[in-house]
Amino acid sequence: MSMLSIKGITKRFGGVTAVDDVSFEVFEGTIHAVIGPNGAGKSTAFNVMTGFDKPDAGTVTFEGETITGLKPHRIVKRGVVRTFQNTMLFDEMTALENVLVGMHVRTRVGFLGAALVLPGVRAEERLAREEAHRMLRVVGLDEEAGATAGDMPHGQRRLLEIARALGAGPKLMLLDEPAAGLNNAETAQLAETLRRIRDTGVTIVVVEHDMGLVMDVSDEIVVLNEGRKIAEGPPLLIQKDPAVIEAYLGEEALDA
Amino acid sequence: MSAPGKRNILAAVAIAICAVAIVALPFVVADRYILRILTVVGINVIMVAGLSLLFGYAGQISLGQAAFYGLGAYTSGYLAKAGVPWLVALVGGVGVAALGGLLIALPSLRLKGHYLAMATLGFGEIMLFFFTETESITGGSNGLRGIPPASIGPLEFATPVAKYFLVWAVVAIVLLLAANVVRHRPGRALRAIHGSEMGAQACGIDTVRVKIQVFVISAGLGGLAGVLYGHYVGFVSPSTFTLHYSLILVTMVALGGMGSLGGAVAGTVLLTLLPFIDAIIPGLPRTTVAVLQDWTNDIYGLVLILVMLFMPRGLAGWARSLVARLAERGSARVPGGERA
Repeated sequence: MSMLSIKGITKRFGGVTAVDDVSFEVFEGTIHAVIGPNGAGKSTAFNVMTGFDKPDAGTVTFEGETITGLKPHRIVKRGVVRTFQNTMLFDEMTALENVLVGMHVRTRVGFLGAALVLPGVRAEERLAREEAHRMLRVVGLDEEAGATAGDMPHGQRRLLEIARALGAGPKLMLLDEPAAGLNNAETAQLAETLRRIRDTGVTIVVVEHDMGLVMDVSDEIVVLNEGRKIAEGPPLLIQKDPAVIEAYLGEEALDA
Repeated sequence: MSAPGKRNILAAVAIAICAVAIVALPFVVADRYILRILTVVGINVIMVAGLSLLFGYAGQISLGQAAFYGLGAYTSGYLAKAGVPWLVALVGGVGVAALGGLLIALPSLRLKGHYLAMATLGFGEIMLFFFTETESITGGSNGLRGIPPASIGPLEFATPVAKYFLVWAVVAIVLLLAANVVRHRPGRALRAIHGSEMGAQACGIDTVRVKIQVFVISAGLGGLAGVLYGHYVGFVSPSTFTLHYSLILVTMVALGGMGSLGGAVAGTVLLTLLPFIDAIIPGLPRTTVAVLQDWTNDIYGLVLILVMLFMPRGLAGWARSLVARLAERGSARVPGGERA
């Protein structure tokens, strides 16, 4: 059975149908890419999957349970985390603190416990910090643990957001254009990081523009165009799909 | 040494010096007037500690803090006059203020920015009207008179020195608890909400719930300050719980710096002392004092504007960058020392 199942998702904004009856399945342990030209509905689909938008029709099922319309934090608790196209880091906080916030659902200390430093608070804090350092190591940012997120260069911020998402101990990670604004070396490093994360047992869905990265890392690709799914399959088949070439690669070829 | 390390040591030294000064002061300063002023400073610090969590950390504005101050003061004053032991009256005052906070938080924390400001401002005005009009409980515009001093069993806090120590003991507890909150998980959640609400949600934070929690905490601390105030002065009237006071509190947090308890305390001390400058610094020229006192409110307004424009991180941000610069200079001097 698939881990994540999208069935007939439709989302309209006023008169515009951003996502139109889209269905696809994501299997455990894979890297799944969602691609398509600008305005194809990729980010909206992501927002629907993570509870940031409510669909007008359709269901999202994760591990056999419907998560459609749940609040974002509830979906995170079930093990589905996301990053944003425009990184949404906590700029005033350090890299380590960002990851510690990412671990919110895996830690328990509340206002009263923290205020009184009840038994267990110190131990949880120490363990959380160790774990946060480990997450930073996964993306290669351990040296930057004390850096303020707002001062970090763009490439590191992208990686930090992934580390923060890892902090939640996810089963499924949804990455919204993680390579946007990265140079070639950084993109290659990102691909390496994504594979390493997948190999630890985290399933990944990635919305991406960078075709090199998509073809390089994905096991499965879904192609959206104007809100509709126009193709689905492994990278080699997608590259040869006439509808895809016309809608997307063709457009790029024309641009070039 | 790294800037954060140096910062921690400097903070510890500053806290120790303040603690010693506060404890020693009544034995050194004979002037009871100064003790009274510093007691008011302590009450304001409790007030601002709550607002700092809400506004300084979580970034949620409240222009109605005076209402919670009033709820605490009237509730415990009324209860104590009815013969209820002070500690119970205190719990009642804090509880009613927190409950008031919950009632206003539930609908309005779904609002953001200006809307939250308007909702809390409206709440403050409604409560002010309530304090004035419910004469049978609050004494109306004449106020509630004859509130007994605080007491715990046979121990009565009736003298200025006793009141001073009571207030500052509560200040110490409140600041300790608040400092514990901000350096653990809930404090990080508050800062995360301030930094990016969507980012916080994506981390699994129930932002509405956390905002309601911190709003209730800040209301409860406002109530606590109000309880102390009522039993300290022995009299409360609506003129204390105005929008004007709420705005001064916001100015104190902003001057101190968002996301810093220490800064908020510094801002509170400075702005509370301003109208009493002649008592604190004897020998200031009379005209200077007169100008400062006549223009106190204008200075508050000017401080808020200047901080917003030129010092968005407040006193705390300024101190941090100073320490960072010193640390950098220190490490640069070490031959071959690596600059982190």
